[in-house]
Amino acid sequence: MKQIVLIVILAAVAAAVPLFVGESPYFMGIMISVLMMAALSSAWNLLGGYAGQYSFGHAAYFGAGAYTTMILISLFNLNPILCIVAGMVVACIIALITGSIVFRLRGHYFALASIAVAEIVRLSVLNFEFTGGAQGILLSDVSLWGLDLNSKNPFYYGMLLVLVITLAITAQLRKSKTGFYLQAIREDQDAAASLGINLAFYKNKALLISAVLTSVLGSLYGVYIRFIDTSAVLDLKLSIEIILTAIIGGVGTLWGPVVGALLLVPLAEMLRSNYLGDVLVNAGLVSETSAFGLFLKENLAHAHVLVYGIITVLCILYLPKGILGLFRRVK
Amino acid sequence: MLLFLQALLSGTLTGGVYALAGIGMSLVFGVMNISNFAHGDLMMLGMYFAYFAFTLLHIDPYVSLVLIMPTAFLFGFLMEKVFISRVIHHPHQNQILLTVGLGLIMSNTALLVFTSDPKILTTTYSSSAFNLPGGIYLSVPLVISFLITCGITAILSLFLLKTRTGMALRATSQNREAAQLMGINVAKMSGIAFGIGTALAATAGALIAPTYYIHPLAGHSFLLKAFTICVLGGLGSVAGAGVGGLIIGVVEAMSSTYISSDWKDVVVFVLFLAVLLLRPQGLFGKKGEQ
Repeated sequence: MKQIVLIVILAAVAAAVPLFVGESPYFMGIMISVLMMAALSSAWNLLGGYAGQYSFGHAAYFGAGAYTTMILISLFNLNPILCIVAGMVVACIIALITGSIVFRLRGHYFALASIAVAEIVRLSVLNFEFTGGAQGILLSDVSLWGLDLNSKNPFYYGMLLVLVITLAITAQLRKSKTGFYLQAIREDQDAAASLGINLAFYKNKALLISAVLTSVLGSLYGVYIRFIDTSAVLDLKLSIEIILTAIIGGVGTLWGPVVGALLLVPLAEMLRSNYLGDVLVNAGLVSETSAFGLFLKENLAHAHVLVYGIITVLCILYLPKGILGLFRRVK
Repeated sequence: MLLFLQALLSGTLTGGVYALAGIGMSLVFGVMNISNFAHGDLMMLGMYFAYFAFTLLHIDPYVSLVLIMPTAFLFGFLMEKVFISRVIHHPHQNQILLTVGLGLIMSNTALLVFTSDPKILTTTYSSSAFNLPGGIYLSVPLVISFLITCGITAILSLFLLKTRTGMALRATSQNREAAQLMGINVAKMSGIAFGIGTALAATAGALIAPTYYIHPLAGHSFLLKAFTICVLGGLGSVAGAGVGGLIIGVVEAMSSTYISSDWKDVVVFVLFLAVLLLRPQGLFGKKGEQ
């Protein structure tokens, strides 16, 4: 109950943010990314954190939502809400296929198979005609209930809503029978099975909830950006970003993914917009015209994945329970 | 029929090189029980090593193996000592993430240093081919690569079967605790296994360098192939990985010929899922560990 109250309070604070920022599309853009990554990572955390099943292919569900929605809107001009529901159905089908194949196995196999499924989805989308292939899908116009979809606000609240729902589900799950079953599976699969827990059923349940939430975020992302291609919504890189966010914040904690997203997304944005390079130049550490300065200017924007790699390695070696895990240990 | 034979032969040749990468990964998995997600990126480093040895030092890519193998062994040995050994008793998710992180560091450093322009290693014999009677032709670099692969595999088998270190590696792979009780230095074995795994990955990379685009992110697709090979042969089984590699090479060539080259990777991954569904212990693995 305490957690639910906290979620509601923080959601109310987050809901008020656009009123104060007003018309800063740049800031709102970053905030939408933070909310989206927090929600994606929380949805992943349901399966990875609580059931201990590390999916390395969550991009497949994100892409399923994004592609289903974009295709249906661009071909039939359906109501976006219906498209989101269709995306959820497609994600469910992919999740059920994946789950039925791999949840009979343990350990390394689920991680490997989840990548294989995601790659099959990615390559299929790339090779089919109706998905736009390598060119992706561009949406010129979209409307819903007279909302101004050119402004960022509807998407900010949309992402926030999904995040709140995901956190609420997580908070409820932790105290429910299913939640305890999942944690038992995570801690010791054999012991859980010997106590009569149906392993495949509960793992599939967690995967389905996680996949459906992820697909809704994919749908929102597609309509928000109005352009998708496989490298944006189906790449392994996205799956890994989702995991890293949870790891850095704290796997298997309610707020870990949110903390991870608040740290990582602005960091990535700083690197992408070359803020770090500018700081080094302005501080007089590097001359802008020197070879090294030019190199930084040219390449540092591409370095955010490198920084992610370094953070992952340091995190696993020194902070395997994430930032929130650190606090818990102190307590 | 001609088409079939052509696909079978060139698939086998490419498969030989895949097998080398798969064997490296399987050895690491067997001895350390770690899925090495940086394996593809180690292959990529081998490709670049061969490329620069050729363009800067004018060393033939096949001759440069003499340099690549010991360097890669040392690199892998140190990588194991500095990073991997510290998570050997951690849950396997952490091990996977650590190797993912190391892979990201390698591929993105390569992206910064070598830029994203693909490089092509063109030797004098790159596009030449042996013409066999009946109209079948075999690419010269692939034939050389295949022969070298066979040689390395034979030497590795002898090493594993006949030497004391080889026996200690196999013992560690069978049962780590028991091996330790018998006085085997299992920490050292992990380092050696990871070193050999890295050397094999880099060698496979160097061997395919003359026939592929060399790109910082090339490791990604090889990683998934290496996994498919390992699972097909049974995770941890070195002989299985050898056969798995040949099968994947042939499957790939067949699907390029009879379906389309766009779909060949999809066919490989579907095969991977089918193996998990029907025979998760792999073709040569023992039942029980899944």
